[in-house]
Amino acid sequence: MNIADIRASVKASVARIANLDPEEISDSASYKDDLLLDSLTILEIAVDAEYQFKVKIADELLSEIRTVDDTVMIVQQHLELAVV
Amino acid sequence: MNRRRIVVTGIGVITPIGAGRELFWTNLLAGSCGIGPVRSFDTSAYKVHLGAEVQDFQPELYVSNLEVARLGRASQFAIAAARLALRDANVELASLDRKRVGVSMGTTSGEPREVERFDDLVVAGKLGQIGPEFLARYPSHLIAAHIAQEFQLTGVNTMIPTACAAGNYALAHAFDTLRAGRTDLMLAGGADAFSRITFTGFAQLGAIAPEICQPFDRCRKGMIPGEGAGVLVLESLDHAKRRGARIYGEVIGYGLSCDAHHMTAAHPYGEGAVRAMTQALEQSGIKPEDISYISAHGTGTPTNDRLETLAVKSVFKQAAYSIPISSIKSMLGHTMGAASAIEAAVCALAIHHNRIPPTINWETPDPDCDLDYVPNSARVHEVRIAMNNAYAFGGNNASLILKRCEVAN
Amino acid sequence: MRNGVVITGMGVVSSLGDSPTALHSSLCDSRNGIRPIQLFDPTGLACQLGAEVPAFDGQSYLSGKNLRPLNRTSRLVASAAKLALEDSGWSESLRSEEEVGLVLGTMFCSLQTISAFDRRALEAGPRFASPLDFSNTVINAAAGQTAILHNLRGINSTISAGVTSGLQAISYATDLIRTGRSRVLLAGGADELCFESFYGFERAGRLCRSNDTDGDFPIPFDARRNGMVLGEGAALLVLEDAAFARERGVEPIAEIVGHGSSFDFSQGRDEQLSAAAVGHSVQEALRDAHVLPHEIDCLSASANGSPAEDRHEAQGLVLGLNGQTHRLPVTAIKSMLGEALGAGAALQAVSMVETMHGGVLPGIRNLEEVETDFPFDLASRDNQEVDVRIGLINSVGFDGQCCSLVLAR
Repeated sequence: MNIADIRASVKASVARIANLDPEEISDSASYKDDLLLDSLTILEIAVDAEYQFKVKIADELLSEIRTVDDTVMIVQQHLELAVV
Repeated sequence: MNRRRIVVTGIGVITPIGAGRELFWTNLLAGSCGIGPVRSFDTSAYKVHLGAEVQDFQPELYVSNLEVARLGRASQFAIAAARLALRDANVELASLDRKRVGVSMGTTSGEPREVERFDDLVVAGKLGQIGPEFLARYPSHLIAAHIAQEFQLTGVNTMIPTACAAGNYALAHAFDTLRAGRTDLMLAGGADAFSRITFTGFAQLGAIAPEICQPFDRCRKGMIPGEGAGVLVLESLDHAKRRGARIYGEVIGYGLSCDAHHMTAAHPYGEGAVRAMTQALEQSGIKPEDISYISAHGTGTPTNDRLETLAVKSVFKQAAYSIPISSIKSMLGHTMGAASAIEAAVCALAIHHNRIPPTINWETPDPDCDLDYVPNSARVHEVRIAMNNAYAFGGNNASLILKRCEVAN
Repeated sequence: MRNGVVITGMGVVSSLGDSPTALHSSLCDSRNGIRPIQLFDPTGLACQLGAEVPAFDGQSYLSGKNLRPLNRTSRLVASAAKLALEDSGWSESLRSEEEVGLVLGTMFCSLQTISAFDRRALEAGPRFASPLDFSNTVINAAAGQTAILHNLRGINSTISAGVTSGLQAISYATDLIRTGRSRVLLAGGADELCFESFYGFERAGRLCRSNDTDGDFPIPFDARRNGMVLGEGAALLVLEDAAFARERGVEPIAEIVGHGSSFDFSQGRDEQLSAAAVGHSVQEALRDAHVLPHEIDCLSASANGSPAEDRHEAQGLVLGLNGQTHRLPVTAIKSMLGEALGAGAALQAVSMVETMHGGVLPGIRNLEEVETDFPFDLASRDNQEVDVRIGLINSVGFDGQCCSLVLAR
């Protein structure tokens, strides 16, 4: 899966979970400070990323997920690891 | 004020540290811990593995009119606790007007194992194997209904599923029905059963402690899900005296509030908790410094314990530093809807015995939690008035106040 | 001395409309809210009918709010709350000054969410369970979500008592106002139609055995009845302290003058006990209202087409009303709304208020033949003109709960 596809999928998830227009979600926008999402919603986004891509992200890394970019990067790293 | 006084005359509990008032109280004061590796299902796919389950529960000892096999686990606990409470209160049901004996119970999830059974079959493609038992065992109102069926009671019958504060809500409602003269005697409390649904949920929220439950300790990492039931017999003081009943304590008031802030996180300044405590004190007509002991919600999560401490200090001000406040969840885990009912029973017992249970596993002080949490050892302490606090998902907060029953001669 | 309790507004989201007037005129037009099920795939089910709220997702009522965290039940409740608050003039700014509360009756609340949460954990692993869904698995989730959405910081409680949930919630709220604990509360009930509960009812043999999409069935009280049809919805009343409403300059639309409840521990198996419980509930309500049986002008029955339960209710009403049933106009609106569980009795209350104002009592859809000992001469498929100063609303659950409410114009 290429980065563009991962990004599109993540944005669609965020849009669905946070009830936002995908156009409004920039790659670098902070979930907390820019999109004003609470911790439960951010957790949901992270777990949803795991679920959609069937990857398991360690707790310490999960708490590092702050933007769409972070989410995409972590997912991609885990998908690469899974293939190897 | 010419209002009926309402007293606690019986206590029945099913807990991870023992069944029945006496054994439970002994173990509680001894600091026994009911937390251990989860046994009721396989937790290898989880990162946490501890729970506070009720061990060796034998429902046949307590259920005689209904068929045990037709009852969900929480209902079994509830009936057992009710029977123990009635026995403890020395109640002769035959001598009472059953239309005026009612049931008010609280729960967080009702009978989640019944949903698990349903889902297991659905996922296995065996939908057709689900029978009439799902509707006959699942709905949470059955916990209160089953108690009334077991003891053949025809009075008020209510289930108040306000999650982790439900026990207090149920007791408050029982208090109100007695005061209003709708009932003469109430069985009130809460019950919940351990389930993978509840465990999974709290695990996903990162709320479960990996190794130890240590409320108010600086190193605390979370709560431990538990199960059990607590039922109290409540009646008017006059009714109790006529029966020659032993009185543990008097319920003098309560306060309920709603954060209206967030489903799982408390208000950042504990504002809802403050309102519940303040209302309880006002309604009871007592001053904060009159409180001798507080039974904390004290789940052991970093946030709850900090906010709860903040809220207590907000209400009690300087007096907060001289009022012991302990969390029995350190020993029982979080028994969900049963928690505040069991904790109310503990308040009644504290008043009755002038002893307070400890918060165990306390080692490292936390500057944000700097009150007297009765660390590690139970204490002899004059308990005249006790406050029981409970906070729940959905922002439901409830505080209940019990007092030594002083009867003018 | 107890405070008067009045109704100052109502909000409804139902299979027959989203306003009290729309609901009432649909009922009076004998329109059927029961249609082929669309919310889930009913293939293979013996009964494929339900009274769904058509094309509902809450967006049109709650625009501008993030509804993703809310499940269907929560959305139904939040929508009905918005309508009720608007109807009674409780604007956002007024709500920031006064602690408006919410007491919600619901039988299942979140069953669909609980099951979905559990199934995802089963299929993908507990690691992938949805944290957001978990926060909605507690039965007080809808009340909690609604409080957050509408800033309802007053007393927030959830009552789970099967079919009688809505009426018990209204009773509970009434008492809170009578005793001065609260001045304004939303009270009522809700439940959503979902596969899990539907299947449970089907497997328990409770659903009507007809898929006639012309909707002959269910026919409460009719000799041909053979089961209920499930519905869904939400109905909330705004209850206020009478003096407070006067000060606000608001004209009440009705007054709650009494309520009562009882319990049938025979689980419907002993006709005498079942009827006696209904009778006792009615008597308690009349006593509480200081009203005599002959003063009741109109009755809204709980009957939903269940063969045994409809009969028990009829017999019980005879007992409760001292035989004064023959000239009493009676309706059974579940003939068109289906059994909406938590919403059911609250919808009955809304309809009764409309009948009080409009002077028309909706007929019982398709009623043709009643049993020979049926005690109500004035039960009819046709509408009746009525002058209702005092109305009685009755609710009977299939697990033993009975609840009755008396309203005055």
